[in-house]
Amino acid sequence: MHSSTTNVPMVKIQVNGQEVEVKEGSTIIEAFYQNKIDIAHYCWHPGLSVAGVCRLCMVEIEGNPRLQIACNTTVTPGMRVSNVSEKVKDAVKWGLDFHLINHPLDCPICDQAGECGLQDQYMKYGRNDSKMGEAKVKKHKVVDLGPRVVLDSERCILCSRCVRFCDEVPKTSELGIFNRGDRAEVGTFDGKPLTNKYSTNVVDICPVGALTSRDFRFRQRVWFLKDKETICTGCSTGCNVKAYYNKEGVFRVKPVYNAAVNGHWMCDDGRDIYKFVNRENRLIDAKLVSGGKTEHMQPMELAKRLGATLKGQGASVALVLTGSHSVEEYEAIVSYFKNDVGTTQIYHWINNPDTIDSFDGILIRGDKNPNTKGLIEVLAKNGVSTQWKSLTDSIGTGAVKTVVVAGPENQALFPDMKVKISELSKAAKLVWMTAGKNSELESLTGDVALLPLKTYVEKPGTFVNHAGLRQKTQPVTSIVPGALSLVEAVQLFRGEELVAKPVQEGEKPNEIGKGRVHNEFTLTRGVW
Amino acid sequence: MFKLSEEGLKYVKSELTRYETKQSAIIRSLYRAQDENGGWVNHDVISHLSEVMEIPAAQIEEVATFYTMFNQKPVGKYHIQVCCTLTCGMMGGRELCDAMMKEAGCKEMGDVSADGMFTFSKVECLGSCDTAPMLQINRDPYTENLNMEKGLQLVRDLRARGKGH
Amino acid sequence: MAEVKYLSEHYSKPEYRSLDGYKKHGGYEMLAKALKMEPQKIIDEVKASGLRGRGGAGFSTGMKWGFLPNNGEPRYLLCNADESEPGTFKDRVMMEKAPHQLIEGMLIAAFAVKSHKAYIYIRGEYMGPAAILEKAIAEAKAAGLIGKNILGSGFDCDLDLYLGAGAYICGEETGLISSLEGYKGQPKLKPPFPAVQGYLKKPTIVNNVETLAAVVNIIRDGGQGYRKYGTEKSAGTKLFSISGNVNKPGTYEVPLGYKMIDLINIECGGLKPGRKLKAVVPGGSSAPVLTAEEAERATLDYECLAGMGSMLGSGAIIVIDDSNCMVDVLSTITHFYHHESCGQCTPCREGTGWIEKIIHSIIHGHAKPGDIDMLLKIADNMKGRTICALSDAAALPVLSFVTKFRDEFEYFIKEKKSKVRGGQIYAQLHH
Repeated sequence: MHSSTTNVPMVKIQVNGQEVEVKEGSTIIEAFYQNKIDIAHYCWHPGLSVAGVCRLCMVEIEGNPRLQIACNTTVTPGMRVSNVSEKVKDAVKWGLDFHLINHPLDCPICDQAGECGLQDQYMKYGRNDSKMGEAKVKKHKVVDLGPRVVLDSERCILCSRCVRFCDEVPKTSELGIFNRGDRAEVGTFDGKPLTNKYSTNVVDICPVGALTSRDFRFRQRVWFLKDKETICTGCSTGCNVKAYYNKEGVFRVKPVYNAAVNGHWMCDDGRDIYKFVNRENRLIDAKLVSGGKTEHMQPMELAKRLGATLKGQGASVALVLTGSHSVEEYEAIVSYFKNDVGTTQIYHWINNPDTIDSFDGILIRGDKNPNTKGLIEVLAKNGVSTQWKSLTDSIGTGAVKTVVVAGPENQALFPDMKVKISELSKAAKLVWMTAGKNSELESLTGDVALLPLKTYVEKPGTFVNHAGLRQKTQPVTSIVPGALSLVEAVQLFRGEELVAKPVQEGEKPNEIGKGRVHNEFTLTRGVW
Repeated sequence: MFKLSEEGLKYVKSELTRYETKQSAIIRSLYRAQDENGGWVNHDVISHLSEVMEIPAAQIEEVATFYTMFNQKPVGKYHIQVCCTLTCGMMGGRELCDAMMKEAGCKEMGDVSADGMFTFSKVECLGSCDTAPMLQINRDPYTENLNMEKGLQLVRDLRARGKGH
Repeated sequence: MAEVKYLSEHYSKPEYRSLDGYKKHGGYEMLAKALKMEPQKIIDEVKASGLRGRGGAGFSTGMKWGFLPNNGEPRYLLCNADESEPGTFKDRVMMEKAPHQLIEGMLIAAFAVKSHKAYIYIRGEYMGPAAILEKAIAEAKAAGLIGKNILGSGFDCDLDLYLGAGAYICGEETGLISSLEGYKGQPKLKPPFPAVQGYLKKPTIVNNVETLAAVVNIIRDGGQGYRKYGTEKSAGTKLFSISGNVNKPGTYEVPLGYKMIDLINIECGGLKPGRKLKAVVPGGSSAPVLTAEEAERATLDYECLAGMGSMLGSGAIIVIDDSNCMVDVLSTITHFYHHESCGQCTPCREGTGWIEKIIHSIIHGHAKPGDIDMLLKIADNMKGRTICALSDAAALPVLSFVTKFRDEFEYFIKEKKSKVRGGQIYAQLHH
C-alpha cells in the first residue's frame, strides 16, 4: 500500500551544504523535492515528462562553471549542488524578470492571486520594478476552453504543463502551443472545447493565472478559504483530495498526490461532488408524517422517537443501505438492526448494476460509490445475504411493514432514485435518512420520517476503495448543524446521549494517503 | 469545407507511408493542401488533414503555425517574400520591398492587392546573400541580384503575366 | 596560398550535376572504395583528417561518429541542409552544383556509422536545390547506388529528402530532429544527445552538407592527405559565403588559416571605391562582430576567431563598410532572432523580443541612456541559460555590436538619429 519502494539504491549528495539521500537515477530537482528543499520552478511537474523550458530551477554544481537546470540533470554520488549561491539567485531573478516582462501584472483581478507561482517567486527573488518600459505583447484574453476551463494567454508563461498533461494523462492531445517565439499561445484547435474527463487538472497544474476553473473563478479569494484533506466519494477509486471551504460551505476540491490511489490527478466529475454537501442542496429539517399529521422537529428528537418505534420489531423491519457511508456507520447500523431491532432484512441498493465493474483505465470507475467494498464486508461479517427482489416481494405481501433507508448520500449518483422511492414508499412505514433534499421524498403523503444526515465532509469514517485500500478521513467542516451520521443516529435510536464532538482545527491527522509525499502544486502552486 | 483533390489525397496517402512515422508527412501534406486551397492554410484545411491523416488537429495546427511558409491568411497570386535580414537589409532589401509593395498596390505587409495579384512579406535570410537584394515568389526558385528598377519592373511583369492567365 | 578548388574542383561544370557527369569525374568511385573498407577504418580516417563540423559548431566529425553506442539499435544519418544562419549560402551552392557529391559522402558516412536510413533535411525555401537533389536521388536509386546491396557490397541504405517549411531553429540539430519527426522544430533537452537518443529516440548522427561532402575527399586522399590544406587544428579547406560591401560577393573555397583580409581584398575584389572597412561579421549573424582592425589580423580558422572572442561558425562573412549604421545593422539581426526564437525557453522567448523593442526605442528616439547597459544585461542573462544556442546566438551580436560600436548607440540615443548616412536609416524612415 505504501508507495515508497525500498529496493532502489540510494545516493548521497550535498544540497546547499546539507547531506541528503536520494534514489539513484533521480534528477536534482527530485532530490530537492524528496527532501522538501525549496527550488524555484514552473515547468517541471512530478507527474509529467520533463520540458526544461522555464529555466528557473537553475543550480550550481561544484566543478561545473555553467549553471544547470535541476530538472534535467541526474544526480551522481557525492555531487555538491547549490541553489542559494549568488550566481543562482541572480540567474533566478533574471529568469523571473523574463517571465514577467510581458505578464499583465493584473493580480487584483486575477483569480490565481494568492496561489500564484509568479507571486510566490516574486516575493523571493524579485521585489523590483518591472524593467521593461516598452509595450507588452498582446494576446487573447478570457478564451473559452470549454465547460470547465478559461484561458488568459497574456498571463500564460508557456510552461507547457497543460499541453503535456493532455498528451500524457488522458492522451487526448487537444491542447497545443500555436505560433512561435513570444507570439506563441496555448489553445485548442479552432477553439474546440476541452472536454476530456480530466480537464480541470490543467487548472491545478497551471502555475499562474492563465488557466482558471470556470466553476471556481471569482467565487472566493483563496485566502478566505481553509482546506483539509479528505477523499472523493464520486466512485470507488477514492481519490485523495483537499476540500477548500469556509463558513459558507465547500467551494472546490483539488486532488492530493497518492501514488497508491490517484497519483496526482482526479476526474472532472469528482470536482463537482462537493456541490451536494452545501446547504442549498441539503435536507435540513427532520420531519415526521404520521396519520396525515406532519411534525417538524430537531433531527436528534426524531431519531430518539424512531428508536422507540423500531426496537424489537423483528423481521417486519427492513434496512436499505447504499455504498455511500463509512465502515463505522455500517457496523453501527447493521449491529443495531440485527441486535436491537432483531432483523436481518438488510438490503444493498446497487445504483449502477450495469457499469459497476467498468473502468476508464485512468481513474474513473463505474461503481459510483466510495465504499461498496466496505458495505459488502460488513454485511458478510454479519451473515447478511439478501436479494433486492425479496424486499420488494415482502413489501408487496406486507411481510415487511417498515422500510428504513440510509442514503444515498449523493443522490445525483443514483439514477434510480425516483424508482426506488416509488418502490419503497409502498411499505406501510418509510424512514428515509439522507443528506440531500429531494422533492419527491418530501412530498410523500403516507407514514414517512425524513432524517437529515451528514455528508462525508462532516464526519469521520473509513472507506474501502475498489482495491480494498482502507482510507480513514476526518471531518472537514460543519454545514448542516443538526444533521447526524449513522453512528450518531444509532446512538440516538438506542436512547443514548450524543457526546458532543465539535469539528476542530488540529485534529489528529488524516490517515488517508499513507506513504504520500508532499504535494506542491495543490498547496502552493509553483513552489513548495 | 476544404477537401483535397483526388490527386492530392493520393499524394498525402503516399506521404503517410514515405517516412518512418506518419507524423513526418505533415509538412508536405500541408504544402499540398495550401496549394490546393489558394495559397493559405485555414482551420478547414487542418480539420480535413487531421481526418485524412488520423493525427490530432492541434498537432497539425502547431506545425502549421510554427513554420513561416504556411500562410495563415489569404495571399495574392504572387506572394512576394523579400529577404530583409543582415546583408539584404544592408543592400536595400527593405526599401525594395516597400517600393514594390507600393507599385503592386498593397497597403501593408501581408495584404492582398485589390486585383488579387500580390501579397508582400519581409522574410528572414533566404540563403542567397551574395545576390542581395533578392526575393522568392511563392515557392519558386529565387529571384536574385535585384535593384529598385528591376524590382518595380518585376511587379509590372508579374501583373501582366497574371492577367494573361 | 589563395583559393583552392578542393571540394569544388568541378563546380563550374554543369554536367557535374547529373549522375553521368559526376561519374565522368570519378564520382561514386570513393563509395566503391569505402564499401570495401572496414567501417571503423573509415571513422579512423575521418578522425585522422581533423575534419570539423562545417555547420557552425566545429566539432570533430570523427569523434561525433564515435559517440554512437554499439547497442544494435537502428541508427540514422541526417544531413543538415537547413542552411539558415544569416549570411550563409555555401551549402546551397554545393547542393546545386554537386548533388551527387553530397549523396556519395552520405552513403560513405552511413556505411561507416552502420546506418541504413539517411535523410537530407533541407529548408523549405530551397525549392531549387531540393528539386535538383530529388532528381539526383532518383538517379542514384535507379543506378543501385541507394537501396539494397549497394554496388554488390551487401550494404543497404535508403536515402530520402525531407523538406522543412521556414524555421531557422531547424538548423539546430535537435530542432531538426523534432521537425523531421513531424513536430514543431523545437530543440530537445540534452542529455540525451542525438548520438545516443536522436531521431525517434534512436542513435542519430547529424552532419552538415559540406562536412559530408568532404568525406569523399578523405576517402580519396586519406586522413593525412586531407591535411595538405589548412592548419594543424583547423584541417582542410572550407567554403566561405561572402556577402555585403565587397565587389565580388560569392562562395569561395580557401584553406583554413587563410587571411580574412586577403579573401576580402583579393578573391572578393575589395570594397567599393572610397569606402572603408568598418566591421566584419565572421561566421554568420550569431558570430560576434569584428572591428576593421580585428578583421585585418584575423585568419580563417577556428582558433584565431575563437581567440578574438568570435567564431568561424558556418563560414559566412558579412563585410560591412563605413556607409552602414551599426544600430541599423544590429536591428535586422535582433529582428531575426526575435522572429526565429522557437518560444520554448523563457529567457530566449522573452529576451529576444525585449532586445528588439529596446533597439526600436533607440531608432525611434525614445530610448534612455541606461538602455545601452540594459541591452548588455539582458543579453548577458540570455547566454547559457537555454536548451539550445539560439539564445546565445541572439545575445552575442548584441554584446559585440554594443560594446565595439558603443559610440554609435550613444550618439543615436542622444541625438535621436544615426551617426552615419546623414542620420537617416531605413527603420527610422519607414516605421
